[in-house]
Order: sequence, then C-alpha cells, then structure tokens
Amino acid sequence: MGFWLELAASGLITGGIYAVVAIGLNLQYGLMRIMNISHGEFLMLGAYLTWLAHTTLQTNPIVFLPVVALALFVLGLVVYRLCFQRIARTAPAVEVIEARSLLVGFGLMFFVQNAVYLAWGADLRGYSFMAEPVDILGARFMANRLLVFGVAVAASLGLLALLRWTMIGKAVRAMMQSPTGAQLVGVDTGILHPVVFGAGLALAGVAGSLLSMVYEISPSMGEPYTITALIVITLGGLGSAIGSLLGGFLLGLVEAFGMHFTNPSLKMVLSYGVLVAVLLARPRGLFAR
Amino acid sequence: MSRRDVSLRSVPTALGATLVCGLALVTLPWLLSDFLLALALSCLMFAALAVSWSMFCGPTHYLSLATSAFFGLGAYVTAWGLESMPYGMAVLLGGLVGAAFAAAIGTLVLHLRGAYFAVITFGLTELTLHSITYFEKSYANTAGRIIGNAPETPLIYWTVLAVTVLSVATAIVVRASRLGFALRGIGGDEERAQTLGVNTRRVKVIAFSLSAFFPGALGAAMAVRWTYIEPLSVFNPFIGFQTVLIAMVGGAQTLIGPIISSVFFSLLTEFLRLRFPYAFLLVLGALLIVLVLYLPGGLASLLTRRARSHA
Repeated sequence: MGFWLELAASGLITGGIYAVVAIGLNLQYGLMRIMNISHGEFLMLGAYLTWLAHTTLQTNPIVFLPVVALALFVLGLVVYRLCFQRIARTAPAVEVIEARSLLVGFGLMFFVQNAVYLAWGADLRGYSFMAEPVDILGARFMANRLLVFGVAVAASLGLLALLRWTMIGKAVRAMMQSPTGAQLVGVDTGILHPVVFGAGLALAGVAGSLLSMVYEISPSMGEPYTITALIVITLGGLGSAIGSLLGGFLLGLVEAFGMHFTNPSLKMVLSYGVLVAVLLARPRGLFAR
Repeated sequence: MSRRDVSLRSVPTALGATLVCGLALVTLPWLLSDFLLALALSCLMFAALAVSWSMFCGPTHYLSLATSAFFGLGAYVTAWGLESMPYGMAVLLGGLVGAAFAAAIGTLVLHLRGAYFAVITFGLTELTLHSITYFEKSYANTAGRIIGNAPETPLIYWTVLAVTVLSVATAIVVRASRLGFALRGIGGDEERAQTLGVNTRRVKVIAFSLSAFFPGALGAAMAVRWTYIEPLSVFNPFIGFQTVLIAMVGGAQTLIGPIISSVFFSLLTEFLRLRFPYAFLLVLGALLIVLVLYLPGGLASLLTRRARSHA
C-alpha cells in the first residue's frame, strides 16, 4: 500500500509542476497564438532567482516565491513589449503569428540561456531546503516535495478560479472564444495581452522556484520542461487551462507507473507514445468536447 | 504568381543556373583549406535541408519539425549498411528510407494543422530517437556505432553537393508543376483546393515524402563525418529547429531565400563562434529576434524589394 502511494505521489508531484508550466504556456498560446518555445528558460530564471536570493541573502524560498512571481511578471511585460507586440500587430494571419513567435522564441531561448550561462556558469547549483522525511499513511515523503506539490496545485487552482470568477478571467475566456467579439464588447487587447503574457511567465517562474527547492538547477534545465509543457497542452487541448491541469497530472502518473511496470529506459518512448496516440485518436485533446 | 522569385523567371534558366553553380562548386576541394571546406560542407548541407523543407512547408504553411527524424534515419542506414554496400548506395537508400518514413507518418498526421502538426512531428521524431536507442541497447547491445572505412572529405563534399543540386533542381521543377500549384492552393485555402478537384491528401503525402528524401540522403552522406554516431547526435532536434529557422529567416515561400540564409547563417555562426566564443549564442539569439521583427518577409524580401524599385 505504502509503495503504491509513494509511486502515485511521485507521479502527482511531477505532474503538479508540469501543470503549472503548461498552464502558463497554454494561456499564452490560447489567447495570443504565441508559441513561446522559450517558456522553460523563464522557469530556469525563476529557479536561479530563488537560488541566488537564498544563497546570498538567506531568504526563505517560500517567502521569496511572490517576489519571483512579480519579477517575472514585470519581465513578461517587457518581453512582450519588445518582442511580441510587433508580431501581433503586423502579422496578417494567425498562422503567421504562430510561425514568427516560434522563431522569436528560439531567439529568446538562445539569449536567456546563454546570458545565465555567462553569469553563473554551467555547474549544477542547489541548496537544501526542508529536506526531512514525513510519514503519511505508511508512506514516506520528503517535506519539500509535499510543499512543492501543495503550492503547485494551489497556484493552478487559484488561476482556474481567477479565470472562472473574476472580470479579467471572463475577459480572457471571451478573448479565447472570439477575439473580435471580445473587442466589440470592450475588452482591451492592449492591456490584456501583455498582462496574460506576464502571468504566463510568472507561472513559469513559480514552477522554477519550486523546482529549485527539490532539484539541482542548471542553465539548460528549462528546455525539457518546455517540451513536456507542449505535450501536456496537446493532451489537455490548446487553450484549455483545466485540460492542462489534468493533462499534467496524467503525464506525471503515466511516467511514474510506466517506468515502474516497464523499463526505465522506455520512459521517453512512453511519454511520446502517449502523445502520438492521443493526437491520432483525439486530435483536439483528451478533454475536448 | 507574385511570390515567384524575380531572379528565377523560367524553369530552364533556373535549372541551368543551378547546374552552373553546382559545377563551379565542384572545384572547391582543390581550392580551399580543410577548415574552409568543412565550412562549405555545412553551408551545402543546410542549404539542401532548408530548400527541401521549404519545398513542402513553404507553400502549404505546415510547420514540420520532423527533419531530424529523416536525417537520423538516413544516418542509421549508413551506420548499419556501410559495411555491406558502397557509400553512394547508402546515400540513395538513406533518402529512400527518409521518403518512405515520411509517407507513412504523413498518411497518419497530415490532417493535423498549425501547432498540432508541429508538436506531433516533434513527438514522432523523439519517438523514433528513443525507439532506436532502445532497439540498439536491447538487441544490438550498443549505445552508438563506430563507422569504419569512411570515405575521404572531398568525396563526402561532392556527394553532399550532388544532393544539394538535386534538391534545388527538384524544388524548381516542383514549383512550376501541377504539384506546386496544388500545394500553394492547399496553403491558401485547403477546402477550396479540394472543391477545385485537388486530391489534397494525396498531394500532401507525395510532397511531404518527396521533401523527406533529401534530409534522409544528407543524413546518410554526413554520418561518415562523425565516425562515431549515436541516436542523440543524429536525431538531435536541433537539426530540425535550425532547418526551420534558416528556411524561415530566408523566406520559406521563395527558393533563393533559404539558400542565401543557409550561407548567411553558417558563416555568421562560424564568425561569431570565433569572434565571441562565449557570447556567440547570445548574439545569435538577439540577431534572430531583430531579423524576425524587422524583416518578416525573410532575407529574400530584400532582393524582391530592390528588384521592385528597379522595375
């Protein structure tokens, strides 16, 4: 019993992180058709910020979390203004926005990753935070992983609630359903787009900050998360935040159980196999109506 | 037809120009040092990759990230077969394997569009990578393969040159053929193309498969440069990313754009690498952003713009 619980929990914990990363990316894509391939780099920035604050100023990573979110939100506004605003305004068609934002994303990826690499080197960095075991129902967990899971789920649910019950959430959803319709009833793209882009980066930063409490960090840590996030949003459906949440947990569980029942070296074959199978059978995502 | 290259007005002239350029480039192994020849080789490789990518993805607006899969399969044809067949044969077979694989996945996934297509071609590439890794580990008991009796650099260069010239010639013919018109029709409005009697499914599979011959052949031809190959190096998704990047920065709608851009990028990367060994990707990244923002039509639009102002 304890063993299965631990296995499921490890899948859910990874899945929680996947969900936070994927929701951020999905908001950007769903609202603005920006395929931000550099999303993982901002996760890495969040991780480095947390690490830097903890090792130089001895701040508590959890207390520092809102600061990271705010810093990345502001960075998101700047990045949107400098890189994506022009694309959104000048592109003649949605497909063109997708293609150009993908290219700009590559540029950002090279830029951010190498800037961090120049600043702090390629070494693995890390710190120890709440690394003591806790027993629950006969299963043993590390306290920091439980904390990470809790914050990830809270952040995801908080965002879903925001989308569902607030005015700005309503505007975002309206924008996703029909950009023209939303503008007709007075939703201002000039404000909404940068804010949502910033929120996406803030989520990536939070995910990175959480990861730095559990794993060691390096400048190249972001890329795999970008790719996983792409898989997750495809599983859950482009533009669907709830889909990303469920898709994230699903992928975490598939990885954990798949590795247990088959061969660990088949892990990647499994996750890409799931992706390909889902896309072939349900091209609009698992939860599409 | 406003999108046709100004410099390539008719098919025979274009083919003739390609042939003349190809023949001129044949002499390079006698003229250049080893270092410069390696640079020329990478220019040619990326030119062929970008041109063949644009052959299908340019007119249809599909975003395929599967180039690395075709390239890697080609490389593995060489790795598995070079012992038992001549080099030229391996290159041809690599191309055919690439084309066959593209036809198979094309039939399955070409109904998806936009980001979905990009993600699934990427996923399929990774799936192929990890399947081959697993296969090699469990059945051949090896992580990578050493390629013995590799041919000399000039022979590799001429082979890659031949593939490149063939890819450009094919692209020229395709653009002027019914297939090319059908592809542009699909890119403009797929349903309308269907209504006008284009069998869009067949056209897409044929063109996708044709465009995959070249990365397959290049993979087979370039594999011998590495002497040791493993799935992670030849299926490297970066090969696919770089191809897309070069083609789009050049202007994927045009023929000349990807060629200019591959030379531009190969030289620029090498120059920056030598000049700023630490910050070169930083500069490359910033440059890429600026290029996309301020030259959205690609490098080829510079030529078109100048030609228009002359006319």
